[in-house]
Amino acid sequence: MENLKSKKLIGYYGFPERSVLRSVRERFGSDLEFIDLDVARGAPDSMVIQSTTCRIIANIVDNAMELSKRLTAIVADVGEGKCDRGRYAAFLLRKTGFNVIESRFPPEQFEKRPLVYSTAEGSLAERVDRIMQTVIQSPSSVNQTRACEPTHGFWGVPPHDFRILDIFPPTTHIYGWTRCVEAGSPGDLEMECYVDENVPTVFFTQSFCAKQDLAHHLAEKYDGLFVDCHRDVNNSILSKVEAFIKLSYPSR
Amino acid sequence: MKLADCGSTWTKILDVESDSLEIITTREMVRRNGSPFAVATGHSAEKRCGIFKNELLALAEGGLSFVDKDDFSIVDVGGRDIKYIRFKGRKVKKIDWNLACGATTGVTIELLANYYEIDFSSLESVDSWINVTCGVFGMERVLESVSNGESPGRSVAEFIHGMVRNVFNFTQRPSELYLSGGFCDNKCFLDSMDKYCKVIPLGRAVLIEGLKNEIKY
Ligand code: SF4
Repeated sequence: MENLKSKKLIGYYGFPERSVLRSVRERFGSDLEFIDLDVARGAPDSMVIQSTTCRIIANIVDNAMELSKRLTAIVADVGEGKCDRGRYAAFLLRKTGFNVIESRFPPEQFEKRPLVYSTAEGSLAERVDRIMQTVIQSPSSVNQTRACEPTHGFWGVPPHDFRILDIFPPTTHIYGWTRCVEAGSPGDLEMECYVDENVPTVFFTQSFCAKQDLAHHLAEKYDGLFVDCHRDVNNSILSKVEAFIKLSYPSR
Repeated sequence: MKLADCGSTWTKILDVESDSLEIITTREMVRRNGSPFAVATGHSAEKRCGIFKNELLALAEGGLSFVDKDDFSIVDVGGRDIKYIRFKGRKVKKIDWNLACGATTGVTIELLANYYEIDFSSLESVDSWINVTCGVFGMERVLESVSNGESPGRSVAEFIHGMVRNVFNFTQRPSELYLSGGFCDNKCFLDSMDKYCKVIPLGRAVLIEGLKNEIKY
């Protein structure tokens, strides 16, 4: 796994409340680094989770098993901002012996942060990555960016395989759960369903995720493209997205 | 100069100079291992051509050159995938491409037809259908129906009708639909589709037509 050999860490997944993250650090050591367990980090298959489950949940469990004793604690997003699978994963990880601290991020805590990366021009993969870093970074650490008019949209969660993001043009705006994360409002369903009507948008979900229902509905409503992907993206999925990007244009 | 649409089962090759279209199995095309095509599209084409064109782009351009209406829907039902485009004002309004599910593709029908030696030229469409939620489950229903005494022809026609319903839904239930691909020659498929919308078969060379723009300059 990444250059993390023996340091003690605090794992987290989804978007835990900032106050919970803060208090966990105060309790276990302010020098402990956070590590996002949602992300594919090359951990071997722990076989704890069945194969027909969302790949992000499998990443969480596989990463936790691989890091094992180095994880002082796991801060688990078990609220509406994540999903039932996230809640069950917390349960399973606790049963396996991890010190799991749950977070729910209720609507009273929604932050309404300004959208910077979601509407900026630049590499989509980098912007999605930066948005996910804002979960543990203060807003002041946001880098300078330039806003742009969208030519395309990407709706969804950060994918397991980021290669799908590389084919989008830099003028792609970000919608869905990832946008909610940047706004500091991870369970805001209204914001999650928002897209710019005239912008051709790819509605992406991981396979076996309940967000497929939402993505399918929105793709029908806005003439977008619904794409779901389980593990790594394949050429067929890339070709489909590539064709959509080439053939569609904003109708302004 | 040769243009080719190399699908998963069939390969269509156009000789531009003689304007002749040859249709062979993709297995045969791979076996021939001839010189690369000038321009090609399709599942098996990427490593066998000078210029590779995305299939959906080929369908879009081919559709526009075959159909002169402003607003229309076109679907290409292949062996392994189904591609759909709706045009508004001759601009793409909606696209979709299903590459994974056998519920809307030809491969299961070919398997059934070969197994039961069905002659599609004489197979009548039927009003009843099998729910083809999944190609494999649908095939199982056919096998079961035959073992329960139904004729293979009728069972396969019910399967085709079930698949047609999926294609109709996939294409957002249009009143008129242009069809590309091998099913243009399948009367049972066309008659089943006619129960839902007006279907206009364009034949098997729509994607090849969409490649021609690559050699114009
Ligand atoms: S992708 Fe869907 S199922 Fe998977 S962790 Fe995220 S919300 Fe849950």
